[in-house]
Amino acid sequence: MDLDVHYSGIVAGDTVAFARWMAGAEPQLRRSLSSFASVVDTEAVVQEALLRVWQVVARFEPDGRPNGLLRLAVRIARNLAISEVRRSKTRGADMDELERRLDEQEVQGSAPDPHLRRLIALCRDKLPNKPAAALSARLHGQGQAPDATLAERLGMTKNTFLQNFTRARRLLKDCLRAQGVDLEREWV
Amino acid sequence: MSPDEHRELLIEEAAGAHRPLRQGQVGSAPAWHDLDEAGRQQAHERATELREMEAALDPEGLSSTARAVLQRILSAT
Repeated sequence: MDLDVHYSGIVAGDTVAFARWMAGAEPQLRRSLSSFASVVDTEAVVQEALLRVWQVVARFEPDGRPNGLLRLAVRIARNLAISEVRRSKTRGADMDELERRLDEQEVQGSAPDPHLRRLIALCRDKLPNKPAAALSARLHGQGQAPDATLAERLGMTKNTFLQNFTRARRLLKDCLRAQGVDLEREWV
Repeated sequence: MSPDEHRELLIEEAAGAHRPLRQGQVGSAPAWHDLDEAGRQQAHERATELREMEAALDPEGLSSTARAVLQRILSAT
């Protein structure tokens, strides 16, 4: 899928178009950082790279090949990750090896699987109350609040909240596996 | 709580999408710093799964990561 279909909207400042682009770009962008995961907080790098794409998109010139914006995002993320490794002087990080693995990766946008969406929603609806509440708090929190705050809103300690969230995640995976879906094979 | 249980909760926390802003840039999670390399790798893999799960449960197909980025863009405009 060529996510550059959203390019003209994004350049015009349309955040809805950018959201649609992010929905397709994020999985590949995150996977592109797998080889850095033990030395860099990839979640922070993914978020910063997405923000920077939005900031520089007006200066971006498509080269005519598909997924130009996604390739830009991967380059930005890679540079951020390399800078972070150098800044923290992480021991054991073989930069040549990390960069070689990055060069081998193909860049492709992704689209949601409606069947999987339906199955996950069905499994979510079967969760017990407390795990469901923890999952819902994370979803509605939209990454804006730390887990300690989400826990407090639910009247839980942070550890209890995380234990309930872990339970929700495992129950969802088990439920999906019973439906023939193996998340580890599908996504990682 | 055993050390293994504590480590498991750190991985779960680090796999979440909340990240602080530091000097105008998205910063790393405190829980991530408390993990060893294997734990960080596990947090990355778990986050990969979770974001896909979150996107599948979101009406617009957005993960918590995408929602967090969108909120930062909207609050800056």
